[in-house]
Amino acid sequence: MGPRPIITCRAVAKSYFRGALEIPVLQGLDLEIPPGGYYALMGPSGSGKTTLLNLIAGIDRPTGGSLEVCGYALNDLDDDDLAAWRARHVGFIFQNYNLVPVLNAYENVELPLLLTDLGRRARRERVMAALAMVNLEDRLQNYPRQLSGGQEQRVAIARAIVGDPDLLVCDEPTGALDAKNAEEVMALLEHLNRALGKTILLVTHDPKAAHHARVQIHLEKGVLDRTVEANRP
Amino acid sequence: MRFLHLILRSLLRSRRRTLLTILSLAVSVFLVAVLQGILGTLDGFAHNPDASSRVAVRHKTSLANLLPLRYEDWIRQQPEVDAVIAMQWFGGVYQDPRNFFANFAVEPEFLTRIFKEEIGTYSESGFRTFVKDRNACVVGQALADKYGWKVGTVVPLKGTIFPINPRLTVRGIYHSKRNADEMALYFHYKLLEEGVPRMKGKVGAFWVRVRNPNDVPRLIERIDHQYRDALEPTLSETENAFQLEFLKMLGDYATMIHTITAAVLFAILIVTASTMAMTVRERTTEIAVLRAMGFRGGQVLGLLMAEGVLLAALGGLLGVGLATLAAGFLRHSAGSLIPWLSDFTLPADTLLFCLHATVAVGVLSTFLPAYQAIRRPIVEGLRAL
Repeated sequence: MGPRPIITCRAVAKSYFRGALEIPVLQGLDLEIPPGGYYALMGPSGSGKTTLLNLIAGIDRPTGGSLEVCGYALNDLDDDDLAAWRARHVGFIFQNYNLVPVLNAYENVELPLLLTDLGRRARRERVMAALAMVNLEDRLQNYPRQLSGGQEQRVAIARAIVGDPDLLVCDEPTGALDAKNAEEVMALLEHLNRALGKTILLVTHDPKAAHHARVQIHLEKGVLDRTVEANRP
Repeated sequence: MRFLHLILRSLLRSRRRTLLTILSLAVSVFLVAVLQGILGTLDGFAHNPDASSRVAVRHKTSLANLLPLRYEDWIRQQPEVDAVIAMQWFGGVYQDPRNFFANFAVEPEFLTRIFKEEIGTYSESGFRTFVKDRNACVVGQALADKYGWKVGTVVPLKGTIFPINPRLTVRGIYHSKRNADEMALYFHYKLLEEGVPRMKGKVGAFWVRVRNPNDVPRLIERIDHQYRDALEPTLSETENAFQLEFLKMLGDYATMIHTITAAVLFAILIVTASTMAMTVRERTTEIAVLRAMGFRGGQVLGLLMAEGVLLAALGGLLGVGLATLAAGFLRHSAGSLIPWLSDFTLPADTLLFCLHATVAVGVLSTFLPAYQAIRRPIVEGLRAL
């Protein structure tokens, strides 16, 4: 018997409503992801991959089924508990980096730690370690506008991992990057997965990016189409 | 405190917009503070505790109608009366029509007794000379300072109501508690009576000091009853009521000032609301990211509210500071045109009102856009451009 899954989806459904019109996006989806897994969600636009990612990350609610992530039944958590849960367990990496433009790199990375009880010195240690991991110790004082796209995304990765979450959710993390920066970012995520054991769930259209994942999950019209395991260690 | 730098940085996100909003708030608060200060100063004249034992007696029809001087004898005989003088607003100007100040023709003997609170300290010998010299006058220190008058200076007054131009020698200079009380000139009533035939045996008003303020209502009633059926009936009232009537000539200034205050506050509410709505709207994605990261809705609301309140408070403080600086200037400039304003002050409660009002503006203008922002689903916020 393997380890208990870090993500368990049972008959997860999600519909959006436009007036009386119901638009189903996910239809009774079952999924289990073990801790330390590196999964890529793939599929055409409208297949429901970002919706599934949002549900697993606890920033959206399903209209049916249940989700258990990092040991918590998300359906049972109210909005504030869900926010606290995200702060402890989930790190977000977005396509457009979404750094706060008025904060420098150091302050952006420190942001999630402001929600913890850590003191200034402990926060500083964590931030420096996270920035060292993404090789940006020399860019502490730079504001997002003073960084390249690749550097911005690495700051965003540092921000995502600074709170030591169990799960990293990445929505098209290389979508706005050139090939070289994209490759660097994917290598960094792979390192986080292999060296630190972070579970990574990645949404991407890019087969090269998906290639870094150990498992590719293909969605089609809101249901699991197929699962492909990478033929490598 | 750990979020303070985030609030400050967000506030300075668009420095020009923040600065312009603070300036617009400051100008509005300045206006409100000055208007409320004017209101308070004017009200102070109509609610002067020093005037509680003084009664003004004038013609029932209007101030322009005259009373017979002989009424003075009967009034003086009333047991409640300490002193009474005939007093006439002269309305003269000094050298130039712009040199406007209060000047009265009075019976000099009891002047300092009637106005003992206002004519506080003075040279006894100077005032004795004034009583004896029909061409003399006494002036307040502030007025003397304004025109460089000293004892012995001859002051030519040009009548604007009466066709005489008396040349008055300053014989006494007095000091008062209030600057406005020092902006007055008093000269002999006889001079007016002799120079203007229609004033012979007539006067605009009597000023009466009552021994006990509690007797004022009874005396007022008795005087008016005495002359009820006379050819020149009287209207007696407390000095405060008289001042209030006089101030009403400016119109219903209290309602006017309150209306302007409300309009200004509403305008700054709109300006600040517009700024905060813009600020929040352009940070839709950022707010969604903060919430995704684990910030609770209440925390994000608190950050945005703190930003709005801080913005408003900065504008309020700047406005109050400007108003305080301008108070001295107003005392000197407006004070020479409107004598009541020569004592213009900004009371602490006016300044506090302004600060409270701006903080309230900050709260009201920020709450709605901030609340809408935290009610918006995170995924929707993340999708926003």
